[in-house]
Amino acid sequence: MREIVTVQVGGFANFVGSHFWNFQDELLGLAADPYADSVFRNQHINMDVFYRTGETQQGSVTYTPRLVSVDLQGTLGSMSSRGTLYNESSPGPSDVITWAGHVSTHASEPHRKNLFLESLYEEEQEKLTVTSRINGGENNSRREINDKDIVESLENGVQFWTDFSKVHYHPQSIYELSGLWLDVQEFDNYGIGKDAFSGGLRGEELNERLRFFVEECDHIQGFQFVVDDSGGFSAVAADFLENIADEYANTPVLLYAVRSPGSHTNPRSQKQSVSRDLHDSVSFSRLSSFCKLIVPVGLPILSGSKAATYLALKDEKPYHCSAVYAATLHSTTLPFRLEQLGPTADSHDISGSMDVNGVVQVLAGQARQNMVAILDVAMPAPPLIGKQVEQTLLGNLQPLTPEIAEDVEDLQAVESITVHGSFGSGGNRASVSEVNNMVGTAYRNATRRPMFCHLSVAQCPLPIPLPFPSIFGNHVGQHGELLDSPIMGSPSRGSLEVHSIPMAARLRSSSAVLPFLENRLVKLRRYGVERGASGAQLLRSWGFGQDDLEDMAEMLSKMVFALDPHSQMSSDSD
Amino acid sequence: MSLRVLNPNAEVLNKSAALHMNINAAKGLQDVLKSNLGPKGTIKMLVGGAGDIKLTKDGNTLLKEMQIQNPTAIMIARTAVAQDDISGDGTTSTVIFIGELMKQSERYIDEGMHPRVLVDGFEIAKRATLQFLEKFKTPIVIGNDPDKEILKMVARTTLRTKLYEALADQLTDIVVNAVLCIRKPEEAIDLFMVEIMHMRHKFDVDTRLVEGLVLDHGSRHPDMKRRAENCHILTCNVSLEYDKSEVNAGFFYSNAEQREAMVAVERRQVDERVQKIIDLKNKVCSGNDNSFVVINQKGIDPPSLDLLARAGIIALRRAKRRNMERLVLACGGEAVNSVDDLTPDCLGWAGLVYEHVLGEEKYTFVENVRNPHSCTILIKGPNDHTIAQIKDAVRDGLRAVKNTVEDESVVLGAGAFEVAARQYLVNEVKKTVQGRTQLGIEAFADALLVVPKTLAENSGLDTQDVIISLTGEHDRGNVVGLSQHTGEPIDPQMEGIFDNYSVKRQIINSGPVIASQLLLVDEVIRAGRNMRKPT
Ligand SMILES: Nc1ncnc2c1ncn2[C@@H]1O[C@H](COP(=O)(O)OP(=O)(O)O)[C@@H](O)[C@H]1O
Ligand SMILES: [Mg+2]
Repeated sequence: MREIVTVQVGGFANFVGSHFWNFQDELLGLAADPYADSVFRNQHINMDVFYRTGETQQGSVTYTPRLVSVDLQGTLGSMSSRGTLYNESSPGPSDVITWAGHVSTHASEPHRKNLFLESLYEEEQEKLTVTSRINGGENNSRREINDKDIVESLENGVQFWTDFSKVHYHPQSIYELSGLWLDVQEFDNYGIGKDAFSGGLRGEELNERLRFFVEECDHIQGFQFVVDDSGGFSAVAADFLENIADEYANTPVLLYAVRSPGSHTNPRSQKQSVSRDLHDSVSFSRLSSFCKLIVPVGLPILSGSKAATYLALKDEKPYHCSAVYAATLHSTTLPFRLEQLGPTADSHDISGSMDVNGVVQVLAGQARQNMVAILDVAMPAPPLIGKQVEQTLLGNLQPLTPEIAEDVEDLQAVESITVHGSFGSGGNRASVSEVNNMVGTAYRNATRRPMFCHLSVAQCPLPIPLPFPSIFGNHVGQHGELLDSPIMGSPSRGSLEVHSIPMAARLRSSSAVLPFLENRLVKLRRYGVERGASGAQLLRSWGFGQDDLEDMAEMLSKMVFALDPHSQMSSDSD
Repeated sequence: MSLRVLNPNAEVLNKSAALHMNINAAKGLQDVLKSNLGPKGTIKMLVGGAGDIKLTKDGNTLLKEMQIQNPTAIMIARTAVAQDDISGDGTTSTVIFIGELMKQSERYIDEGMHPRVLVDGFEIAKRATLQFLEKFKTPIVIGNDPDKEILKMVARTTLRTKLYEALADQLTDIVVNAVLCIRKPEEAIDLFMVEIMHMRHKFDVDTRLVEGLVLDHGSRHPDMKRRAENCHILTCNVSLEYDKSEVNAGFFYSNAEQREAMVAVERRQVDERVQKIIDLKNKVCSGNDNSFVVINQKGIDPPSLDLLARAGIIALRRAKRRNMERLVLACGGEAVNSVDDLTPDCLGWAGLVYEHVLGEEKYTFVENVRNPHSCTILIKGPNDHTIAQIKDAVRDGLRAVKNTVEDESVVLGAGAFEVAARQYLVNEVKKTVQGRTQLGIEAFADALLVVPKTLAENSGLDTQDVIISLTGEHDRGNVVGLSQHTGEPIDPQMEGIFDNYSVKRQIINSGPVIASQLLLVDEVIRAGRNMRKPT
């Protein structure tokens, strides 16, 4: 078994993670549901890759994500960081057994459970009372909570990532950074996060928690990092990664640097804009130096983007945008957990399984060694019919990575694409060989094609759990099929209308990412490295000396050079 | 718990308003923390927004759990937490001392005095107090065989401010013995060599010192023994799992056979490493019934575990990095990074190794070692917050003993030092300066009294009575503190109430620095903003 341990760092990363785990939880539920569509009952997805089996002290078996999540204190809403699975009863003042003197209680304003969490809670209580009812226990006093109201209340009221989470987490998973005395708005650049990891034994604790999940892995295939790299969490993640690189040198790290549209707001002053640019440069170079593959995710405007053609979402809602990114992450992680088949066996349900190291080798291990990948998605994926597959599928795959070039000719591009749950002719799910053929044909007919493309296919679509936001446009049908004419009367459709969708996602290593890299290099040089640079002092206060900055610039320019040997920028201007 | 003191935009405040804002913030924080102080302090139960509970008697932990928003309060909190990082104790005292310096200043400022004058007085008073501390402290001889009784008294004093007496007393011996165990002559004490491990156990509150090591994981193979005696211990940092090495990890093997071949080669390399360990085991365990235990910092995959299990070896993987060092200090031998030149000399020794399982949690005890220089304090408690509190207390206790050994001195507690220093400032130092600066010294001297006053208040006593009788005794030349029960003067020496010299010195040092910054408000506002945004 090849386990993956996931690490989520920062506000938006945890929003993405929350949706991501909701999908997994939904798949688990459907797999065990005798009434579910057979495609969900036979997923051929090995959940143990992402989940661990455990046991409480009372002897109940648990199944929870292999996850360490880091966020600021106060961002958990009505969820307790220790979860409820391994529940110990909450103490009252009389349970203070270490102190004989006075006890004083200080309660903060309680966070009320929203309708969704309340219904989850009641559902669990009901499960518990089933046994007592058999013994003639009390009546079922459950108040019916209407799904429609739940969806609506989430649409209007999500504040924390916990508000829409239906997953039980292990008590070691959720970590709050305390003692920083900073609120989210202030935690907005690399410098401000620089001591957050190392100070106050916080780093020790995080290393220990990670070790807890790694120790039990028989053969870990990699770490999956999701980092909100728009502020101080970049530094937290970078320091954490540095420890990991040291301790688990041979285990590859795949990193998604995620941002909400909100983090791209216009700077208010020249000074702030310099700070923002330097943050982007520093954050990217620090994070990329400790991982094997880095995927920048997050458009400044998602709602109007080509990737959101069939979506109706609001940029100002992290709850919305994170759902799109999480869905895409789900797809790109499928190859890691498709059940390994023997060399001769063939499956109707899946093909193209590959471990983390595999994807790293495909994308970053080729001649160019480019470790920055672009993420594209077709959500939902169009049906694979007839001759237009080229336009439809490949044309619908649109970037979620910002600052990249369109329409570049790159003969050395390499790609890894995952297609799952897609429909073929006649509205049936396309078989794996159909998908393989279709995609193969599409690429052969494409005007621009990569040097190499790895394809993973599964039949199981993305399930849409109840707390998923209403972000589908009115061309999206119940099973994610694309309708010819819009459904009237509803501008957006959610989990009650759309139950699953076919997905296609692609990671590609292409010179289209050059503008992203060049921006970071240019800004770092202009504001940080050049003599008299306006941001030099700022960078010093972030703990970087001239040597560090030159090393960073050097590294960035090597990345540029690898993709474009003729670039004016890649060589130092001396 | 959130402390929301007003946080208006500092830039638009005029000086006097800003100054009063600082004073109020300092007093506000003092108010929150002062009931924590001393053996009669109040433990605080913090109920979070989700109903989760944290319990603490410790100023440091309390501050960290609070969501402080006022920049002045944050500055004080940072100072207090730094106090704990540096010296391991005295957080509460720092906060209430700063608060009191501000409170005393307020009186004079309201009467029209310029803050600068007070700050000058603080500076003189601080230096004088530090000099006085040098005279006042009680030197102790540490040498090769330190006086355990005095170490115990210091540990007991601090532990009793965090745990009820019987529990504190039980821990006293433990922390003293732990520090003495890891102490090496002529070297700084590295408290990391004391592992602090906890177990959640429904009905049990118990703490014990394990001479040896407790690891928070077990072997991962069903056939490995759960208990072994007379164990050779191999401490290593060697990968015993098949991980594709970078160079060969091509995704594109030209064909299936090549791929298979590659895998086979790499597997064989891992197997060879395992075999070297087995060879060493066979060498040292043949002809006797000794056991062999491998504790590895890197991974061990199932095929390797199989091989080891078949050879009768117990193996643990992914040990904490620090445990590599601790194991060697506890068991002897050396930590090896390669299995190429393994010799019996690399091995450590433990009389007993056994596993203990609680739900999904496993513990491995490495005990009965020969001449340990590392040990484990094992804490049992019924829930996380009980464990957390005992852990905090143990940390404090360990720091107190370490400080004592390194300071080679202690300071009489229960307010004795503060009263003595105050009398010294008022009677001796004040008259050496001219004019209004005297008032700054007086403010400082009176602020020192916040410690005995608060101790008295927390014991439910009349603070004025207590201060009068304490100062009276001091004027008669008797160095006394207050009894936490009656408020009567007591001799801290007789009662065994001692504080750390380095902790006291740090409080005296940092308190006035921050108070001065807060009083000279222009600087404060800039400093405050700097701490928040480095732009
Ligand atoms: N038995 C005692 N009687 C009176 N005072 C005591 C006693 N034990 C400790 N103290 C005093 O309590 C203070 C320390 O209290 P504590 O709660 O640990 O606060 P801090 O966080 O400042 O260390 C010291 O001034 C010490 O002298
Ligand atoms: Mg103390």
